[in-house]
Amino acid sequence: MEQEVGESLIQLGNSDGSNSSSSDPVTRVRKLLFRRMLVGIKDGRFFLGTFHCLDKQGNIILQDTIEYRSTRRSSPSPMEQRCLGLVLIPSSCQNSCHVDCSVEEQLSLLKAKMI
Amino acid sequence: MADKPVYEEASIDGQPPKLASIPASDTTVWADASPLLQAACAGLRDGELIHGDNFNLFAAMSALEIMDPKMDSGIVCTYYSIDEAIENGAAPIPISLDSTIDVRCTIDIMDHLLACEAAWHKGHSLAQTVFSCIYLLRLDRTAPHALLHSYCRIIRATCKAVVSVVSDARTHEEEDLFTMTYGLPLNGDGDDKCLSILNAVEETISRQLRACKATSSKRRLPEDLEPLQSNSNLEEGFCKALLCRLRFRKHFFHVLSCMKRPQGRGLESARKHIASCLTELESILESADFLRSCFDESCEGDIDDKTTASGFEPIGFDAMLNSRLSAPTPPRAIKILSWKKAVEYFVKLLHDLDVICSYSLDPHLESLLRFVVQFQKSQPDLVARSHLQLLLVQDGKLYGRDPFFAVINKAAALPEATKNHDIQKNESFLQLGMLVMNLLKILCTNAAWQRRKLGKFLQDWRVIYVQLELAFRNEYGEVSSSSNDENTCMKIFQHILLWVEEQTYWIAFRFLILGFELELYSTGEYCMVYWYLYAVLIKLTEKTHLMMAVSHDTAKRKGKKKKDSSKDLARESRIPPAVLFLQCYICLAEGLTMMLAALRNEIPVFHSPSPFNTEHEKFVQHFELLQRACIPDHVSYPSYKESTTHARFSTLAMYNYFKDAQRIAKEVKSSFSNDPERLAELRKLEQVAEHNSVAQNVICRLGALDPSLKVSFEFSHHPFFATVVVKRS
Repeated sequence: MEQEVGESLIQLGNSDGSNSSSSDPVTRVRKLLFRRMLVGIKDGRFFLGTFHCLDKQGNIILQDTIEYRSTRRSSPSPMEQRCLGLVLIPSSCQNSCHVDCSVEEQLSLLKAKMI
Repeated sequence: MADKPVYEEASIDGQPPKLASIPASDTTVWADASPLLQAACAGLRDGELIHGDNFNLFAAMSALEIMDPKMDSGIVCTYYSIDEAIENGAAPIPISLDSTIDVRCTIDIMDHLLACEAAWHKGHSLAQTVFSCIYLLRLDRTAPHALLHSYCRIIRATCKAVVSVVSDARTHEEEDLFTMTYGLPLNGDGDDKCLSILNAVEETISRQLRACKATSSKRRLPEDLEPLQSNSNLEEGFCKALLCRLRFRKHFFHVLSCMKRPQGRGLESARKHIASCLTELESILESADFLRSCFDESCEGDIDDKTTASGFEPIGFDAMLNSRLSAPTPPRAIKILSWKKAVEYFVKLLHDLDVICSYSLDPHLESLLRFVVQFQKSQPDLVARSHLQLLLVQDGKLYGRDPFFAVINKAAALPEATKNHDIQKNESFLQLGMLVMNLLKILCTNAAWQRRKLGKFLQDWRVIYVQLELAFRNEYGEVSSSSNDENTCMKIFQHILLWVEEQTYWIAFRFLILGFELELYSTGEYCMVYWYLYAVLIKLTEKTHLMMAVSHDTAKRKGKKKKDSSKDLARESRIPPAVLFLQCYICLAEGLTMMLAALRNEIPVFHSPSPFNTEHEKFVQHFELLQRACIPDHVSYPSYKESTTHARFSTLAMYNYFKDAQRIAKEVKSSFSNDPERLAELRKLEQVAEHNSVAQNVICRLGALDPSLKVSFEFSHHPFFATVVVKRS
């Protein structure tokens, strides 16, 4: 289901030809700026911050970042967090990337999908 | 079109478990953005960024790069957390089931903690040093192990006390990692009882020591006491090794507590504890031989580098566990001091503290300033300097005892009666009190910080002088009043104005000579520095001389009815020794200025201009703060050029300032026979004068003729007057 929501974010423009020029991925990612983003990295930590910058290689900069990590190797375990500020997450260590989406937005996104 | 309530399908249940523990919010969910981002990346041109209006590339460069070991302090290493480390046996309690090994390991931990403590004092973070000890991080779990528990408690209490002293003194900005505790467990319940806990353990070990000695001498055991550890051959050695370590900690804690007492009341007791500390440190050093030899296994590597006396690595330390706590910026890799160096550090610290404790709390500001300057010559570390500062300035009073107006009153040679005069409530006088207080604080900081602060301070002293002068003129104008109180006020103003000038020039003098200590001047700049020093010294001497004349008047007016008035007259006409002392400085400064000027004017190689800036620019750079404060007046680059442009070997030969300096130094020695510090200084000045006098003669005779003559400058005899060395290459 997540996958579909993700795809819906891409396909938002494709189904609606009239504004295809403003609905290319770059523009849509621009719209995600300043949204809360949760990036998981390969050693198991998560970084939650506001989306600040993206480059062609896929490196992400987050602002006002909080780092989450578990206190034990084996899950489940309680999470610790600490504030880091401005953070650059190289694409090579990224595992996952999620954006804070309101439910209504999801609804409207999926309305546009019209499948 | 009816929509399925899609948000249900995108609910938390559908998301990976880890994500579930970081909920978005009540009304939002996490949506996977990776495909979109990938598509966007494909669509970007090379070098193109997606960013908002507030984006600044320069600022973005300060972002912490994740997974870079130099920037990411959260990289997972051996253990995810302290608790995981403990669960995996990184800090076992007891350390070993074999009591002998347990005791040796405990001693190793104690030694390593001492090394960590010294490293912390020297400017590294608590988290990477003392609190890299897992036992300290979870102190409560050490409760079953009395020895470790008591030691950890007292370490924690000691660290807290030191943090408190340094924070109060507020000199720690210079070593920025020092007091940041970042949530480390420095405050413990019941740490005030740490001494009694330690005493109990010490008592037990003392009895164990007595018992094992009794056994060896075949006497009957007085009590049924369990030995410290199982190997009877090693019992005595281990007991002794432990006792000196515990006693050192006890006495050190007492030193800190005593020195904290207000108005220096605890200084004498502190000295006794310092002496005990030094004795115990001796014993600790001696115990190393025993600890190294008590096991068959020898440790690898150079013993001198080890952080323990035995040479073994201590158990229960992991600096990485705390890396997330040490700062938002990641920790530099640091090296813990070796155990030997750590003991040396504490020996020096104790000696520095002893000097402070021996101080007589002299109410005379001038003596105090000389004491502080002398103390700083031994290059004391931050902890010692903080203690000095807190002794000097407490509760806005000198030594917590003398209000600053009274101190100024005395320094300005005013009669005792005026110290309570209402004039001290005047705004300018209040500010002056603050300036004196700040001056004392600044003099307790390290040389680099001190010079920076003193330079800026000059402006404040100048301003206060102007303010006081203005207030004086407004009140009293030119007319001398008949009122007694007005006369007193006038006198206060006059004395204090003069004293403020003297102090200002003293600060300027200190500012200039600290530049030599910090090696801020290049050889090509010595000429202008000595010239400026000469100008400042002239003024300082003038004001000092006036101050002495004025204080002599005050003394006379105290109603001494001397029968021998002729002797008085003779004494009056002689120049006071303190002024002669300064004149010696003046001669040396002048001599060096002229010699350097002549060398520059006559020998081309001396006058190589720097490609980066002109001499004028260098002059401005070095003396900007002094110039801005007009210290002294009418001193500028053109006047410097004028003074030095005509210097030649021929003019140099006409007058030997160094011979003058030698003569004065010899003359004035007898007046300082009770002052070892000034005698030592005079001896150094004599040596510089003698060497430079000879060098000047050589240069004057051969300088222009012998192109192979090499002239260099060394500070071998005196810290700021250079000795001129002439060689034939």
